Amino acid sequence: MAERVERITNLLALLLATREPLTLQSIADELHGQYPDGHDARRAAFERDKALLRQIGVEITTVTLGGDDAGATGYMVRPDEYELPDPGLDSDEVAALQVALAATRPGSSTATEALWKVGARRSTDPVSVGIEVPHLDALPIVRDAVVRRCVVRFVYAGRDREVEPWGMLLRDGFWYLTGYDRVRSDRRTFRIDRMESAVDVGPPGEVEIPADIDLTTSLPDDPMMLGADHHRVRTARVIVSARRARPAIADLGAERVVQVHDDGSVEVDVPYANTAAMMSWVLGHLDDAVVVAPEDLRDDVVSHLRGLCR
Amino acid sequence: MSGRTAEQRLRRLLVMLPWLMERGEVPVGEVASRFEIDEADLIADLELVAMCGLPPYVDEMIDVFVDEGTVFVGIPRLFTRPLRLTREEAFELLVAGRAAMQLPGADAGGALNRGLRKLADALGEDDTGVVVMSVTPDEVRSLTAAIESRRRVRIGYRSADDADPSDRVVTPFRVRHIDGNWYLWAHDERREALRTFRVDRIASINDDGEATVDPPEDLDGSEVEWFGDDVPRVLLRLGPGARWVLERYPIDEVSEPDADQWCLARVPVTSERWLARLLMRLGEDAQVIEPERYVGLASSTAAAVLARYDVR
Repeated sequence: MAERVERITNLLALLLATREPLTLQSIADELHGQYPDGHDARRAAFERDKALLRQIGVEITTVTLGGDDAGATGYMVRPDEYELPDPGLDSDEVAALQVALAATRPGSSTATEALWKVGARRSTDPVSVGIEVPHLDALPIVRDAVVRRCVVRFVYAGRDREVEPWGMLLRDGFWYLTGYDRVRSDRRTFRIDRMESAVDVGPPGEVEIPADIDLTTSLPDDPMMLGADHHRVRTARVIVSARRARPAIADLGAERVVQVHDDGSVEVDVPYANTAAMMSWVLGHLDDAVVVAPEDLRDDVVSHLRGLCR
Repeated sequence: MSGRTAEQRLRRLLVMLPWLMERGEVPVGEVASRFEIDEADLIADLELVAMCGLPPYVDEMIDVFVDEGTVFVGIPRLFTRPLRLTREEAFELLVAGRAAMQLPGADAGGALNRGLRKLADALGEDDTGVVVMSVTPDEVRSLTAAIESRRRVRIGYRSADDADPSDRVVTPFRVRHIDGNWYLWAHDERREALRTFRVDRIASINDDGEATVDPPEDLDGSEVEWFGDDVPRVLLRLGPGARWVLERYPIDEVSEPDADQWCLARVPVTSERWLARLLMRLGEDAQVIEPERYVGLASSTAAAVLARYDVR
């Protein structure tokens, strides 16, 4: 029996060359001697080969045949579905892509294969400045859903979500998905790395993206506004001590300062929609920040601290 | 032959064949280096596909042979174009391009942007819904300029959150954004070693003459000390709600989670204040196991913060 790589290469060549779908029987006849003779063993070997081809990205068309082969399944690979259209990249464009990959995905074998396919190669030149793009298995799936306008379902913060995705954003090292949450009937933003289940993708064409959405400005600017109800933005009044006042103002913006006290401490108004993120910000300042209002946020901080004093 | 899977071999062949067909003849060494494959493996794979065939091209479906260190390819019949990009591959290219466009020196009318547009046209996909935003701090621009003009710099560096900056003379090699922070790889004059620095702790940057040290051959392969042995370690017990700590910070070691999903992690601690802030945020999801002097840090810090709330 031929080596497996040889057999699969022949299988792929046959499926690409044929003009009509072929049954497993005719495939085995064409590649005579390469598949086992026994019916079950042959089917099992063929299924494994087919799975491998699909795994590497080959689109195999299957049809239920009529006529002499009525009821049997026919297989073929359409050349226009197999072949990468030539993007016609110039050599400086190829070089720029190589540098881009070296600056963002060093060491990724997927990126290297993508480069080979478009006629580039992995660059080994040192790169002086780079942004390492985090890898998550869900990213290509979510991108696909955004591009093909599919509804996605996943678990987030312990709840089932059904979201019409409008766009995804990479900012400050994290990927976000923004869209319309059908269950909560509101617009939401989710950290993709915090999704608690696999992403289930619905059929294409079910999402209409609002025309006035500008992802670069429509996503909340800071973590305190994330994943929460956009209609319920609240404001916390916080006193920051003199020694931390300067960095806090740099962080929040001078317009958030409502009062400067004689001792140099400042009172600031901090908008938030996400209580956990707001608490994390306040607690990160240790005894240099105190929540004045609202009452419930203040109570939450106090009971969190009491839990720690035990 | 090394132990490569059928999948790895097939992937490589399907992208290598169209490239070879376009060129006709290429030295074996050049093919091997471009496609990152062992020469012996390459020759074995090419000899294998040369034997592939279907009627009527039983022996010449893929017309390829290796002779005296050169790969020759005859009439191209099949596999003249590479396989389409998988969804993972398309995503990698797109995001790499978008992210690189945010770096200093990227130009909207430049080759990268043109290349990305051509790719998007060829793939026929509308990726306007995928956005990459990155703010490049001035320090990163200055450091990049220093690296590119081979300069040495004197930086004011805060080694911990609340420390005063101290002067360090360094030869910068690379700046990179990882998990929300910018880091500098540089040769530290005083330590005479490659070190990483957090860019947000650099208070000042001044030119200090020509670079005196060459970048290491392989910066990625070089041993870099994120935290030296002089940085103390703390053993923490972390609950499920504190799991993000493991992804966010460099951790020396982590135990398997126990039945309740708690695990032990040894964490480098650059300052007591940093540890106190971490413990306040984690609340009851974290406990200090050792050293002894930090076991009570969470409750003493919480008490100090609580004192400001005027409650008892």
